[in-house]
Amino acid sequence: MQDLKLKAAEKRGVHQLGGDNLVGWDEVTQGIVLTSFEGDATDVAHKKAEERSYSDFNSYTATVASWRVMKPVFNIDVCIDCQNCWVWCPDSSILSRDKQMLGIDYDHCKGCEVCVEVCPTNPKSLLMFSEYEDLGDALASWPEKKKKEKK
Amino acid sequence: MAVEFEVNEREVWDGNYAASQAMRQADVDVMAAYPITPSTPIVENYGAYVANGYVDGEFVMVESEHAAMSACIGASAAGGRVATATSSQGFALMVETLYQASGMRLPIVLNVVNRALASPLNVRGDHADMYLGRDSGWIQFGAFNAQEAYDLALCAFKVAENHAVRLPVMIHQDGFITSHTAQNVYPLSNEDAIKFVGEIVPVDDMLDFSRPVTYGAQTEEDWHFEHKAKQHKALMDSMSIIDDVFAEFKKVSGREYKRVESYDMEDAEVCVIGLGTTVESARVAAKEMRKEGVKAGVVAIRCFRPFPYEEVREALRNCKSIAVTDRSSPGGAMGAFYNEVAAAMMTSQSRPLVTNYIYGLGGRDISIENLKTIFREQKANADAGYITTDIQQFTNLRGPKLGFCKTERN
Amino acid sequence: MTEIRWHSRAGQGAVSGAKGLGDVVATTGKEVQAFALYGSAKRGAALRAYNRISDEQIFDHAKFMRPDYVLVIDPALAMTDDITMNDKETTKYIITSHLSKDEVIESIPALQDKKERVYVVDCVQISLDTIKRSMPNSPMLGAFCKISGMFELDYFLENMKRVLAKFPQKIIDANMEAITRAYNEVK
Repeated sequence: MQDLKLKAAEKRGVHQLGGDNLVGWDEVTQGIVLTSFEGDATDVAHKKAEERSYSDFNSYTATVASWRVMKPVFNIDVCIDCQNCWVWCPDSSILSRDKQMLGIDYDHCKGCEVCVEVCPTNPKSLLMFSEYEDLGDALASWPEKKKKEKK
Repeated sequence: MAVEFEVNEREVWDGNYAASQAMRQADVDVMAAYPITPSTPIVENYGAYVANGYVDGEFVMVESEHAAMSACIGASAAGGRVATATSSQGFALMVETLYQASGMRLPIVLNVVNRALASPLNVRGDHADMYLGRDSGWIQFGAFNAQEAYDLALCAFKVAENHAVRLPVMIHQDGFITSHTAQNVYPLSNEDAIKFVGEIVPVDDMLDFSRPVTYGAQTEEDWHFEHKAKQHKALMDSMSIIDDVFAEFKKVSGREYKRVESYDMEDAEVCVIGLGTTVESARVAAKEMRKEGVKAGVVAIRCFRPFPYEEVREALRNCKSIAVTDRSSPGGAMGAFYNEVAAAMMTSQSRPLVTNYIYGLGGRDISIENLKTIFREQKANADAGYITTDIQQFTNLRGPKLGFCKTERN
Repeated sequence: MTEIRWHSRAGQGAVSGAKGLGDVVATTGKEVQAFALYGSAKRGAALRAYNRISDEQIFDHAKFMRPDYVLVIDPALAMTDDITMNDKETTKYIITSHLSKDEVIESIPALQDKKERVYVVDCVQISLDTIKRSMPNSPMLGAFCKISGMFELDYFLENMKRVLAKFPQKIIDANMEAITRAYNEVK
């Protein structure tokens, strides 16, 4: 089961790139220069994403979740922490810490299924389920290890 | 620390050399360039100053003018003092990035040595390239001789980098006529020059790691209009800051610049309004016309963008007939400069007669006699009370007389 | 205003000559202009360079001029180029040639009625003797100095040394000798 604490940061997914505050010409930023973080961002590269003070301009604070109809579900019991899914995910939505796979960032995952495709385990540690499927039910229905077919 | 380059109180420099000395004295941090005639010596000389240790800067050789301005944009966004130079075809290739620079509000300084646009291929001076940049959101200064190419380059940094402006600035000089003509130039000392220009204080610089920023964001219809409006407002508001910088420059140099220059205009009945070196030749012609009893004057645009509508109207207030001189092929319209002056005078009380002369394309000479002919035609208009010639005429052109559009009369 | 037109071939140094002259003249407190009509010209192509000298700032940027002096530093151009174009009744001509003054005038029909205003000096030979290559611009400056009476020779030499300061001493000395010889030999 994935760590749900990681996806519930306060500012996550609530803003649509400034769409909630359409200011006038006199208030827009000079030169369309956008800041990625609020306040001093020294050493931000060494902080974990959920600890960073992303600004409203940063796409980290915008969500695409409702666009998804199928979602990947992660099964920690099968995963070998190979990081294949982390490397391949086009939306940086694989949550991994210290090379340990923790789960999916459902605010930014678009349900493309690439992570499932590249997962090398048997059975796979990531599988697609309906967006409405309960995570517990999904894990309960996980398939068994496939036996090699005799030739 | 850079090696001191000695300059004398009086030098004989051409426009290119003068501009390159200004780049050195202003301590330009980065110059990315793709040299092109007739502006080549500006970047060539700066490169030599870097190589010989006369300036602590970086010369970046790139593969095209598009890349030159792109590299300048990167260096300027990173917080450096940045400049380059180009002409003609190179300027044309640079145009796409000019809009990027002004939209991102980057204080880049571009020396443009004006040259005709092909085809036919031509290396000499006309204003086709300058006109191509007129909607790009840059401030555009016009130098009429080598001294001014130097002076305005120093002023350009101070205007561009002012935090209330933060817009790129072009300094235009006429290809060959200014760029390759050596004249007396009285430069500031190295010390006075850098003291005048000052240190650049960056805004939103990308090398500030405590505050990472995104440059060149995308804005669609819900944001783009507001951003462009803000940019235009900054450009219009830069007029008073340009005036301040010119006033400050006068204090250190004794030389006075105005966004609109007037010569012999106190009682002028007819005048030529122009850009570039032609302004000075016209001053000689106006003096000679006065000996013939014609009250002739000259008005010049020092700052082509932002266009000084009100000052133009003020300068031409008492004139009866005005010749607007365009040194660019008009491409199926009146000259662009004519349209601007005519628009300014349309809203004046006096509504003088305004005519358009296309001249000097591809470096074709404009002699004092040519200019006197223009003055005489204005005098005839002023006496008749209407435009006696075609509204648009071609001057010093071989073949049958070429002109377009007559004035509407009852 | 004094106006000078140089007739030369690209590579003979008319542009440098015009600029060097401008440099020296400026030291006397006068305002100068030095420019040329060239651009994509290849070495050997005919070109014209110009000087304007005035007590006041020079505003005339036209290429058109009615020269007070015409300096021809290519012997063949004296015959083939229109060296008397837009001249005045007082225009003086200094022509480089190995021919005598009479021979030069005889071979150029346009000079027939201007004989007393024509001066000849062999700048090419002088430069070959002194600078060791054909560099007729320096000697022409010496000849101009003499004919115009604009400067004392010593004053001119002193200032040319400054203009040429970036060159090795040997080259400076050779140029000084070339200028001096032409000053003395022009007829």
